[in-house]
Amino acid sequence: MSLADRVMVLRDEVLDTVERGDGDPPGTDVFDAIVRALAAHGETAPGLDLTLHDAIARRLAWGDTEEVLLADADQVVHRLARAVERALRDPLEEMVVLEVAAEVTTAVARIVALAAVGRAQRDRAARSREELAQKRLREALAEQRATLIRFDRG
Amino acid sequence: MSAIVLKTHGMTHVGKVREANEDAMIVDPRWGLYAVLDGMGGAMAGDVASNRARDVIHEYVRAKKKTLEPRALLEAAITAASSAVHGEAQARRDRQGMGTTLVMALFVDDNKAWVAHVGDSRAYLLRDGRLTQLTRDHTVVAELMAQGALSPAEAENHAYKNVLSRNLGAKAEARPDLLELELVAGDRLMLCSDGLYGYASTDATSGAVAWWARRQAFLGAARERGLARSPICAVLSPDEAIDIVAGNLAEAIFHDLEKSTGVNVWTYAENLAHGWFDQGGAWAPLAEMLDLLVGAAHAVVVAIAHEDQALALLVETAVQRAFTTAEMAVGGVLAERLRVTEGELIKAHTLVQTSVDESARFQETPTIPFMPAARPVADLASPEVRAHLQAVAQAARGVVGTGRVPARNVIDAIERAALDPVNATGSAIQARELYGVRALEESGVSPLFDALDQGRAAFVTALRRAGGDPQIAVAVMRRVASAQLALAAALAGLVVEGAAPISERLREATRETASLRAEVASNEARLADLERQYATRAAKPSMLPRLPRKPGGPS
Repeated sequence: MSLADRVMVLRDEVLDTVERGDGDPPGTDVFDAIVRALAAHGETAPGLDLTLHDAIARRLAWGDTEEVLLADADQVVHRLARAVERALRDPLEEMVVLEVAAEVTTAVARIVALAAVGRAQRDRAARSREELAQKRLREALAEQRATLIRFDRG
Repeated sequence: MSAIVLKTHGMTHVGKVREANEDAMIVDPRWGLYAVLDGMGGAMAGDVASNRARDVIHEYVRAKKKTLEPRALLEAAITAASSAVHGEAQARRDRQGMGTTLVMALFVDDNKAWVAHVGDSRAYLLRDGRLTQLTRDHTVVAELMAQGALSPAEAENHAYKNVLSRNLGAKAEARPDLLELELVAGDRLMLCSDGLYGYASTDATSGAVAWWARRQAFLGAARERGLARSPICAVLSPDEAIDIVAGNLAEAIFHDLEKSTGVNVWTYAENLAHGWFDQGGAWAPLAEMLDLLVGAAHAVVVAIAHEDQALALLVETAVQRAFTTAEMAVGGVLAERLRVTEGELIKAHTLVQTSVDESARFQETPTIPFMPAARPVADLASPEVRAHLQAVAQAARGVVGTGRVPARNVIDAIERAALDPVNATGSAIQARELYGVRALEESGVSPLFDALDQGRAAFVTALRRAGGDPQIAVAVMRRVASAQLALAAALAGLVVEGAAPISERLREATRETASLRAEVASNEARLADLERQYATRAAKPSMLPRLPRKPGGPS
């Protein structure tokens, strides 16, 4: 049984499915990413985990805040650390899990941060559009006021 | 590259105001050691602080230069000096509050130097006709600016722009900034105190002199208001209470006014608060004492106002600033103590939780197939784990080399957070330092997380290379992973925090656009109405051509 398979057995404990249900409890995306990274550990160089990226983007799109995503990741990693400390016999295997968990954590933080940056850039662009619209509206207002003054005098 | 020949020169002058020179320096070509120290605080103890720190650093470098790496040597020498000054300040009442700034250069090779500094003394490099400031002042305003809380323009005009956030001696440990410098022929390195780059203005000096001349009036006012009856002065005789508590404050205000800084009052207030809280004292007597001293200072300002309104305004501004600085310093001490208490509470809470979880886990879930017998787990707080962690961090720095500064900073931050895991705010502070000032763009943020990856990878590599007891290694890895997790989350949080105002500004802009649209629509409706009325007035029947009548229609 590979290390990834053995960590997969800890899913219910780490995600606390007893309390939160086993459908899609918070932090599933992070736990799955850790298992995927463990499956590839030592075999391939870690690259961009698009599945994790999509999962986080989806949760943001559904209205979860960045703080919630980071808190979920934090909880999953802490629960996983405690679970592997109990469950794995070999300290070196525990080190591998912790290393991979730290790697995934950085990936989550990076994705969340870049999502915030992306949103900031979109907001900046939207604000520029708003300011342009405001400029045109102010011009229109100035013309309207001039016309109103003419009406008042006439 | 051929060896660079060093020419060195050092000079200090007491100036025209003070009686004692509070600056000290080291010019030692034999050991390649040069330093400038600017003492401050206490009852004429600024020179004691700077001289003591100078002697300790000089001795330390001479004793250890051949055995320690430059970074470790500088950090250890500065910590030893800070500890010595702090110890001396604590031992003698009349020296409480003394401290010193420091900027030093250590030449370790023919063309390499390390620069370290604490406080607002500076190092400048003149290269190719261009003067560059190598050090960033450790002032409260500079730190706020680095965190993006203040713009350079706001910082320039800030009332507390010279209040130090770090000095050597206020605490036993010091946090120096270090810089490795490659030198080329023709370079000129200048170390100096603020006496050189920011000498006092005429107004400040006359204000300082006016305040100092009325020092006795301030002490008398403090006596009249019952300073000696304060519980804080319980162990002092009435005369000692006036001389030490009010006298030191009067002197601190004088020095701050003279040099346009707030550092002396800051240090005074910090030491007063530390001493009082260490005895288990409450906040209220301290606040009452500060109020009492404010009243006494105000009496002096009123007396000056009878003679010279302009001068009184100047002194009043300085006094107000001094007491605001004192309150900020006392608030900082309180916050620091609250953080420590909070950390202890978290630790106690975690211990309780762990013990509950352990028992529950082993009793309730015995059927997991790979559950082992309890494996001995290395104590997270054991000296072996801490020592191994420090050794691994040192090796990790070697893995990233000297070129990748951000990755080294990450390693430093992870090490600090891992060594102090119960301090919940530690990671946030480390993250703020790493974040520094950066553009809220992908090119600004990505390097931060790249450095985080590099730092972590270096840690893991160093940990594997180090070998040793696997239980110790895994305990170190747990701490590193936890610290790295906290750091990554805090960094992402900072980016999110930085993006929030942009969204808020967009919302404001959207609201304003909607308001403008509504105004335009309202005007449009009004104009249409007016045009209709105008058209109705203009179209009187006599002026309009008669419409042709329809054949067979009504008459």
